[in-house]
Amino acid sequence: MNEHTPVYTSPDEAVAWMGTDPIPAKAYYDPEWFELERQAIFMRTWIEIGHVCELPEPGTWIRRDLEFANASILIVRGKDGQIRAFYNACTHRGTQLVEEESGRGSNFLCPYHFWNFGYDGRLIAAPDFNRFALTKEDCKIPKVSVDTCAGLIFINLDSNPKQTLREHLGSYAEGMETLPVARATHFAEYTYEIDANWKITYDNFQENYHLRHVHGLTGIATVHPDNLYGYPTKYTFDGANRTQEIWSNPEPKITPMQGYNFGLAAKFAQEEGVLTGPHARTYFAIFPSFFIIGTPVQHFSHKVYPISATRSRGVFRVYWIGEDDSASKRYSREYALASIHDIHTEDVNIINRAQKGLLSGAIKNIHFMNMEGLCRHLYLNVVKAIDEWQAEQGKRA
Amino acid sequence: MNHQQLPDGYEVLEPFVDFWAVHGTAARDAKRTASSEAQRKGFYQIAKDHVPRALAELDQTPLHQFNEKQTNLMNLLLSFAHVVNAVELLGDGEAKHAKFRAAMPFLRSTADLPA
Ligand code: FES
Ligand SMILES: [Fe+2]
Repeated sequence: MNEHTPVYTSPDEAVAWMGTDPIPAKAYYDPEWFELERQAIFMRTWIEIGHVCELPEPGTWIRRDLEFANASILIVRGKDGQIRAFYNACTHRGTQLVEEESGRGSNFLCPYHFWNFGYDGRLIAAPDFNRFALTKEDCKIPKVSVDTCAGLIFINLDSNPKQTLREHLGSYAEGMETLPVARATHFAEYTYEIDANWKITYDNFQENYHLRHVHGLTGIATVHPDNLYGYPTKYTFDGANRTQEIWSNPEPKITPMQGYNFGLAAKFAQEEGVLTGPHARTYFAIFPSFFIIGTPVQHFSHKVYPISATRSRGVFRVYWIGEDDSASKRYSREYALASIHDIHTEDVNIINRAQKGLLSGAIKNIHFMNMEGLCRHLYLNVVKAIDEWQAEQGKRA
Repeated sequence: MNHQQLPDGYEVLEPFVDFWAVHGTAARDAKRTASSEAQRKGFYQIAKDHVPRALAELDQTPLHQFNEKQTNLMNLLLSFAHVVNAVELLGDGEAKHAKFRAAMPFLRSTADLPA
């Protein structure tokens, strides 16, 4: 008798505690609900906006525009090596200081009346300044809290953040520091804007239920009779954050050049010392809308920035350690990049349709099954954050 | 008239240079989108057997020292990297897939940097 021992068992118990209640669909398209999220979450939570390799030396800076805050932010590395952030706005009459995406130099000169600001946001010089009833100290640009973990730069628009970044990341900070991104020097990027609520966009990447259907051709390597949907092997939760462990198919169906190309990529990952690691299969989901996946060959992050109740912008990055230093390395990276891009373009196409069906309001509830537990966890934490914020507002009133 | 665009030994790949050997990840993705199935299959069938040899040879020269012919070969191989999935995985699904890709442009890639 040949007993079949399954190569996969789903981690059902890990998600059972969240229950099975239907989820109000309104949270995924209603402008009033979105306004609550904006104020309760996005305006006062740590938001991932870049990587330290974009600020390689003192005097370098990047600009990031955040639609949900109507804000443009400058993130700069000062002469002292410290990373600081402040609004891209002149304290004279509010003019945006820079239009470029990034740059280097020793100060920011406002093009309107030539107020000149240092890399710490202080006013250094201003023409005919004694005609103002001001001191230069009064004219400092409002700062934005900024901190880093695993090389990733996070900002917090709350003038007095309730948590440090470390507190926000909780027990996952340590694991994230072991990822290749912590040592990354280069990255590739592709972005999109989409008519979809930020949670609909983000949730697509939190469940594997759709793999088989949406990625039937590109994701064939993940399909196995014992785990037809490629569900993860493990879930963990810590505060508003969560992880899953990506299942490795022991018998992947690999096509000829796909196999050759990934073989090359694995060789380079081995040389860079990232092929194996404690979190090489971990997907870290950081509240509200950032995730990074530990897989070394296509080590990518995804950040969803809300724009409105039914529009969002996504940024994918694939991180690399070191420059392309040979033809083979450049080729293997190009393939890894094109391959993951293939999969993500399929996702973006389906997300569009997911939103459209909700807009009429006819669908009152949506449903998450247990292997969509990460999506449920996000919703529960959104509700919790809104409840907390409303309670604080009530106390203040 | 015989204008050789690749290093010696890659004559069989010469017919693909004009269309496929372009600089930049976004440009190569656009070539994949603009190509016909016959173009992709033809390129894939001929080029696949030469990829390991071509990479091994190019690896002997630092990227920043490539001459024009080596640069063409490199760009051809990089376009091949985009064509592999179109042929091996997507097949008939590639036409539909091409429409999705336009919505998500590549903004940055290490292959776009000077070596
Ligand atoms: S607005 Fe900037 S100097 Fe006047
Ligand atoms: Fe997907």
